[in-house]
Amino acid sequence: MSFGVSSVALLHLLDNQLQGQIDRMNRTGYGLLVVHVNTPSAAPTGMHMEKLEERYPRHTYLSVDLTEVFNCPSRILEGLGEPESISAPSGLGSQDSNQDKLDRLLESLPSATSRMDILNILRTRLLVENAKKRGCEGIIWGDSTTRLAEKILAETAKGRGFSLPWQLSDGISPHGVAFKYPLRDLLKKELVTYASLTTPPLNQFIVSEQAPQAFTSKNTTIDNLVTNYFESVEENFPSIVANVVRTSGKLSARQSFGDGKRCGICEMPIAEGTGGLHGWGGGQEKMDLSSSHLCSDEKLCYGCARSSLRVTTSVRTGP
Amino acid sequence: MPPSPCALCSSRALIVRPKNHQKLCKSCFLSIFEEEIHHTITTNALFERGERVAIGASGGKDSTVLASVLKTLNERHNYGVDFVLLSIDEGIKGYRDDSLETVKRNAVQYGMELCIVGYDELYGWTMDQVVEQVGKKGNCTYCGVFRRQALDRGATRLGINHVVTGHNADDIAETVLMNLLRGDLPRLSRTTHIVTSSVSSPIKRSKPLKYAYEKEIVLYAHHKKLDYFSTECIYSPEAFRGSARALIKNLERVRPSAILDVVRSGEDMAKLVPEGVSDVQHCAGRNEATPAGGEEEGSGGCGSGGGRSSGGEMADMEGQLVENESAREREVEITSTITTSNGISAKEKNTTRRHQQQDARKTRKLPRQNMGQCVRCGYLSSQETCKACMLLESLNKSRPKTEIEVGLEDEEEDSSSLRRRMENVVLAGG
Repeated sequence: MSFGVSSVALLHLLDNQLQGQIDRMNRTGYGLLVVHVNTPSAAPTGMHMEKLEERYPRHTYLSVDLTEVFNCPSRILEGLGEPESISAPSGLGSQDSNQDKLDRLLESLPSATSRMDILNILRTRLLVENAKKRGCEGIIWGDSTTRLAEKILAETAKGRGFSLPWQLSDGISPHGVAFKYPLRDLLKKELVTYASLTTPPLNQFIVSEQAPQAFTSKNTTIDNLVTNYFESVEENFPSIVANVVRTSGKLSARQSFGDGKRCGICEMPIAEGTGGLHGWGGGQEKMDLSSSHLCSDEKLCYGCARSSLRVTTSVRTGP
Repeated sequence: MPPSPCALCSSRALIVRPKNHQKLCKSCFLSIFEEEIHHTITTNALFERGERVAIGASGGKDSTVLASVLKTLNERHNYGVDFVLLSIDEGIKGYRDDSLETVKRNAVQYGMELCIVGYDELYGWTMDQVVEQVGKKGNCTYCGVFRRQALDRGATRLGINHVVTGHNADDIAETVLMNLLRGDLPRLSRTTHIVTSSVSSPIKRSKPLKYAYEKEIVLYAHHKKLDYFSTECIYSPEAFRGSARALIKNLERVRPSAILDVVRSGEDMAKLVPEGVSDVQHCAGRNEATPAGGEEEGSGGCGSGGGRSSGGEMADMEGQLVENESAREREVEITSTITTSNGISAKEKNTTRRHQQQDARKTRKLPRQNMGQCVRCGYLSSQETCKACMLLESLNKSRPKTEIEVGLEDEEEDSSSLRRRMENVVLAGG
């Protein structure tokens, strides 16, 4: 639950379906756990959660802080690896609050794009962790066609093209829980219309997403950029948006994720010998980045390695 | 503020690398650029000793830099490769004739043999005439199909079976996004391969600049003071490419590595394209990929019109998609009427029908291409007549059948206006 139009509409639809099941059979086929993840950038949403709970009282509600990702079982921490190396220089590692750890992790990343990228991954992993802890069978995402198309291009632009089949398809995900995308065939503008037509309208529950920043801003991220791009494409060419999703849906995972190497950050399977920034023919930085921290490189997938790469070159140019 | 030193040697840095914002002096930039291409060539084993290789040269920055770098590396690392320049003359006044002059100068500067193949001698049509005939929209199809064959024919004429082209990382990234947008999986699986050889063409193509940024190519050409021609093709670029190009440029601004990252994603996604759709042999790895109708191979010189998108092509595609969708809906309606009329048993029928439909959809994959020869020109083709001949046929149909015109063809300058005058005469006479 992000309080965006898609996830609110999804909750409304599922609630209706459950109501229908109760009316007919007096029992339901499934139960919902509505989870919201608080991220440092977003405004506090406690109030919105209460409003939703009032309107749809049938479900369990849970609000977690992104910082809790550091309290999760060792697997995530171990995979992250990052905070350890970051907290080392300060010497106070063990005393740090989770908030400090998160802040430092984010500060260490080279750009706004990387921060957003890693934040999204952390959020997914936290959701997965919570779903597992509470014995959920799967996670239902509110991604619309538009959102999925954005994801496809953004992930492609971030060098994560390899992971698309796992990020788009319904079914068991590499994280070990099933992912489902029931809104995959609806455009965002359809959902917006839908939200205004229900009685009462859903608009009151929707926290409008931040207006994307101006293009010149240094804080623009690849995700923002692609979102803006598809906003304009959807305006005139809605079928092209749907086509992107349909096409990418045809990509099939060639490799099972049963065993084999996993990326330490995003948990996506890595094909043998292609990990890190240098595991391919285009990795030419080898020659100018001989330095140290890239040893751990091959534990990460290309996309995560890219996002967590610190700007060594510009640091080195100091006097 | 003291001047920044070069990150590799200690002299003064003059250049910020577009790729990773590394500060370098001029000579370090030139050598790192060359070494990266050397790295690409060696890791992919692009050349063999003693091989004769044609450089597809348009006179533009990419192919000029390619020729210059290959000459330098060939001497420095002793590849033992004999490079030849191969140019295509599409017959576009004010664009190609000028750029061919550049190629002729380059041939002298680099001491390479030069071969020019013209559309008019191969097909009897220059692009200027084609545009006059079909209009500014959609003429890129003709140019692409013609160029692909012309490159092959030129290479054959030179007795060469390997052509290198100047496609750079920006071009590849753009094509990856473009194919995602228009849903062209077979092409998506082909574009990212560095070497493409195929059943549909006896000539092997490769792209040594695949990982080189366009901006760095421009910088290299500038600092090496290379002689290149910088006007874009005067005919309109494809809308999809324009849209994708604008997006790529914006992505690069946000994160310089994005271009390389898209290329990487494209390579990874190529491996994920299901077997039936692509005609790539996956086991063969990246060294033996197979493009079939590879139009992208030929589009090197055009489509770089920097986001000038007319939108017409996108609108066409949108229209077609909508049509497909409504057709599919109509199909469903028919099946549902059958079910209602047949009662309960029809429900089963309906599901089996659905399965059949699904199966049919699955097996309706692209048939494997069986290559034969075009009955008209003898060029390799999967159809009875090759694409170029089919396009030519449609062009020739509308060409006036006056015998006189052939005689006029010699004076190319005025042929079209003369022709028109002749037509007027006939009309007046009738």
